[in-house]
Amino acid sequence: MSSIYFIALPLLFGFTTPLLAKLGKHGIAYVSTAMQTLLFVLALSLLVSTNWHIEVISIAPPLGISFVLNEVSLFFVTLFTFLMMLFSFYYLVHRRTNPYHQESKFFILINMLLAASIGLVLSSDIFNIYVFFEIAGVTAYILSAYEKTAKALEAGIKYLLTGMMASVFLVLAITMIYIYLGSLNLAVLSQTFTTLPDNIKLLISLFLLIGFGLKVEIFPLNFWVTDVYEGSSSMVNALFSSIVVKAYLFVFFHLLYLFMPASEYGTFLIYLGAFSMLAAEIVALKQSNLKRVFAYSSLGQIGFIFAVMASENANALTAALFIILAHSVAKMIIFLSIASIEKTYKSVEIKTLKVMHSPFIVLMMLLAMLSLLGIPLLAGFVGKFLALKDFAFTGQYVVLAVIIIASVIESIYYFKIAGNLFSKEEKRTGLDLSVLQKAVFIVLALVLVLVGTAPWLFSGFIHEAAQVMLDSPTYANMLSGGLK
Amino acid sequence: MIDQFFTFLNEDSVITAMVNIGSMILFFIGLFGLLIQRHILRIFISVSIMEIAVFLFFIGNTFDKRFTAPILGDGHTAFVAMNDPIPHAMILTAIVIGMAVFALGVSFAIEYFKLMGKTDINEMNELGES
Repeated sequence: MSSIYFIALPLLFGFTTPLLAKLGKHGIAYVSTAMQTLLFVLALSLLVSTNWHIEVISIAPPLGISFVLNEVSLFFVTLFTFLMMLFSFYYLVHRRTNPYHQESKFFILINMLLAASIGLVLSSDIFNIYVFFEIAGVTAYILSAYEKTAKALEAGIKYLLTGMMASVFLVLAITMIYIYLGSLNLAVLSQTFTTLPDNIKLLISLFLLIGFGLKVEIFPLNFWVTDVYEGSSSMVNALFSSIVVKAYLFVFFHLLYLFMPASEYGTFLIYLGAFSMLAAEIVALKQSNLKRVFAYSSLGQIGFIFAVMASENANALTAALFIILAHSVAKMIIFLSIASIEKTYKSVEIKTLKVMHSPFIVLMMLLAMLSLLGIPLLAGFVGKFLALKDFAFTGQYVVLAVIIIASVIESIYYFKIAGNLFSKEEKRTGLDLSVLQKAVFIVLALVLVLVGTAPWLFSGFIHEAAQVMLDSPTYANMLSGGLK
Repeated sequence: MIDQFFTFLNEDSVITAMVNIGSMILFFIGLFGLLIQRHILRIFISVSIMEIAVFLFFIGNTFDKRFTAPILGDGHTAFVAMNDPIPHAMILTAIVIGMAVFALGVSFAIEYFKLMGKTDINEMNELGES
């Protein structure tokens, strides 16, 4: 039953916040952080325990709610709770000097976001997926506009409009699925979806691609992303880039593997991802705002993950899960660094880095950027190496070339940023970080180094997770077994 | 004459056709509004119309006028000859969510108008490459 806690606890926290507010201004922050730490410890204890087994929870089947906690969802749950916990620890210090106004609402929102992201990963019927899709969306719009400046509100409005469009197309896809197949349960759908006529299948896939494509930031549906990242605060961007997008990515490919194993659209999606990466990296070159640069870098990396996941084989998926792990951790480091830079210098232009004096932040940003580039001994290398090896083995040489060109372009703007970090033109002023904040950065950096130097510690579990994610017949049987 | 017309309208195939064509027209009205309107509230309303079109499409295609609502009571003791409850539950949820998102969007637009005095989406260009 432990999987229910991952959703119930953050939701419960949201609903009891008016009561918790009586604990005082600081009490609620500590309770929220303690709850997230508890969730991470729970996820980690499941991950390391030897007698853990897959959990299927069904309430009032086959119409009711069902959740599945298997290896791959546990991987994502652990990742999300880990990042959210570190985010909260960082914010505990950050809030002393510049807290968000009406802070208790901020804690409701981040916990709802966590609950919705975990819910997306665990849900195994489309109705639930739709509900969590919307909860994650609504909390993300509010977080985006939270600072109520003109920029933040504009970002919120843009995010909300695209989110509304995404939900229109998702409901349209669900409508078609229900009219033709008469069920919303993934176990039933995975067995009946292939019996649909080809044109209906194409139409449903197209609606799903538009609905999720707007959320997973894939070219050409990612026109809104950089504006939203620029308008939102850097703290919130860390959550968007490392948690929310990954949850949507997982759900999209989970549905794809279940509905259309070894589909004919795979090649199209691989090219979509690869060119999405190339386009994002080229546009990133001429940006001068740190938030926009790393927003484009996120788009590029997500295009890469998209291409690798669309390959639909266990080796590629192992690589994709490694890239997801490395990218989430690295983007958390980057956006938390930008948050501390923005707090001190009130600017996020790249040239702000010229006046920053903080060897610690410089080291952390360099580590994260090198990991994103895929330098050996850092986490990004493992995923990228495995992915490129798989593309080479399966003969996708065009994709291989596109990804390598995109990576070279990526390295150019990372070196531009690094040049500003080491520039000696202007007088530098210091940047204060507390011990707790440094500890958060060090834990994140240690994960990057540990995954990079000792990938075999993780590869067993991740490979198993990849095989579980691809094995849709077993998933369907397990789910319908739980439905009886 | 009038009676024959109403009998014709009450046939299953005619109702289905009306629902399908009607929701499609509604969807394109919304899409057209989304593309040509510039006032932010009108754009929100256009997207809401698109949502309503999809809801109508879903309910219209899963509803059977010979069956009753899936509620026990009023002499009904078993779930026979009743409409499927799932589309209704789904669409009720979706309507509530859609309304909430719409209200949130309007509140963002009001806050933005208070700050900047602008309602035209083309003039919202605080963000972007400078």
